[in-house]
Amino acid sequence: MSTEAPTRAARGRGAATGHTRTSPLPLFRRALADSWRSLIAWSIGIAAAIALYLPLYPSLAATSEMQSLIDSLPPELINALGYYSLATGAGYTQSTFYGLIGFLLFTIAAVSWGTAAVAGDEESGSLELTLAHGVSRGQLVLERSAAIAVRLAWLGLWASALIIAITDSAELDLEPGNVLAASAALVGLTLVTASVGVAVGAITGRKLYSTAGAAGVAVLGYAINAVANQTPDLDWLHRFSPYDWAFGGLPLAEGADPGALLALYGIAAALIAVGAIALGRRDVSP
Amino acid sequence: MTLAIETSALTKRYGSTTALDGMDLAVPEGSIVGMIGPNGAGKTTTMRLLLDLIRPTSGTARVLGEDPRSGGPTLRRRIGFLPGELRLEGRVTGRAMLRHFERISGPVAPGRIDELADRFGLDLTRHVRKLSKGNKQKLGLVQAFMHSPPLLVLDEPTSGLDPLVQQEFLAMLREVRANGQTVFLSSHVLSEIEQVADTVAILRAGRIVTVSDVESLRLTAVRRVRLGVRGMDAAQLVTALAAVPHVSGIRVDAATGRAHLTVDGDIDPLIKAISHYEVTDLIAEEPDLEESVLGLYGTQEASHVD
Repeated sequence: MSTEAPTRAARGRGAATGHTRTSPLPLFRRALADSWRSLIAWSIGIAAAIALYLPLYPSLAATSEMQSLIDSLPPELINALGYYSLATGAGYTQSTFYGLIGFLLFTIAAVSWGTAAVAGDEESGSLELTLAHGVSRGQLVLERSAAIAVRLAWLGLWASALIIAITDSAELDLEPGNVLAASAALVGLTLVTASVGVAVGAITGRKLYSTAGAAGVAVLGYAINAVANQTPDLDWLHRFSPYDWAFGGLPLAEGADPGALLALYGIAAALIAVGAIALGRRDVSP
Repeated sequence: MTLAIETSALTKRYGSTTALDGMDLAVPEGSIVGMIGPNGAGKTTTMRLLLDLIRPTSGTARVLGEDPRSGGPTLRRRIGFLPGELRLEGRVTGRAMLRHFERISGPVAPGRIDELADRFGLDLTRHVRKLSKGNKQKLGLVQAFMHSPPLLVLDEPTSGLDPLVQQEFLAMLREVRANGQTVFLSSHVLSEIEQVADTVAILRAGRIVTVSDVESLRLTAVRRVRLGVRGMDAAQLVTALAAVPHVSGIRVDAATGRAHLTVDGDIDPLIKAISHYEVTDLIAEEPDLEESVLGLYGTQEASHVD
């Protein structure tokens, strides 16, 4: 068990049972095992959103009625929603799913998982008992964040698979590689959101701050993008919007933007590292 | 004597509130030490410091020879901990939860979990969130005991347990002591642990008021005595008894003519005094250590002890 002066107990029962069984990533596995129900629910929600919106493309967006409807809307609204290219399959899928309903669903999942990972567990009083065992604070933040990343990645793959599966029947004309690129951007974007929740939770231990921080970053990113879309004079604002990093390069039409993906995943990793260090430095509340 | 726990001037402040005020405590290896005190006395703070859940403002602690913080996960694997406010949630069975805790603590001997669950009468197939408070407490005890750690730190372990299970728990404490393990536990009622604790530390407002073995506490304890004497009326009896050292609270029951009184400490003067009378009845109750402890708290704190 250890090289320290053996206690009587260690010589007794401890010696009899001998080996130290270490199983890899116990907290990661527990986090996944605890969340499979919620993951199924999110998968169903995303499938429903895709099934509701995307098959409408041939009857809606590709028609002249839709274009005239869009032309009749205030241009500011069109810009805010990014609805300028609804007439292409990529534009339609971006505007309806990746840029709006998918973004919303992924964001809500990311905020709730990011908040639950540390702050939620701490406020419910369960974090204390976990940390009283043979795990370190940093390990806890890293393993639980990895579990969030895996869950978001699963949702991204799931959405990609469904969209690729219906692209022909819905006449979307999407490249499978581009669908994966857009999903990777959405996962990266919402992983940043979740990581803000993890980091704020690790620093403050408060659910409210954790949720506010994560949701705030997501909403702010969307809002900055919407404002920056209004006029070329505000174009410089885009660089402050993670939402624009993810989708500004139009991954559904143009393919992956490696720089943007690197920025999103890099920032998420940095935030998680901050959380891992911060939790190790403070008292855990009962 | 090797110490399983040793604290020196251990202090924890939250802003202007002092939760623990320079605690010096020594828990010898292989012993059962109880910490008694009202809510807010610093019992939970002490235990959380030992587990490195919180860090001291000043002072030091050594647990199994190591600093709690630098000892880290390796040290905590060798401790079984039961939190005072045990909150167990999740849609998992008790067995699944214990398997998870097994992965993050020391190795558990085969069959050990079932053995402990049987002794406590705990159904491991039920979902954790559906368990009653008492059953959650049993689950908490099983996770603390299951890997047979050299040190058990148990915060209010008997809370929520019915008397039968409490007895089983106390029996288990004696067994782990015989096995060489050390137990450090807290309670706000002394009577629950006086049967097993070798030493009792009494805490008040973040300070240790006294450290004593249960036997010495018993010697200074308050005893209730009921006494019947032939040929004396109530007034005579009261007058006679009032003169006896250590005797107080004399009250004569009008119906039976018997005197009820309390003896604070040495009972010998009372015995000598009544030997001159014709005693018809004498009952001295088991000393109530609770009352002795309340005496140490002082009357103003007594109301906090429930």
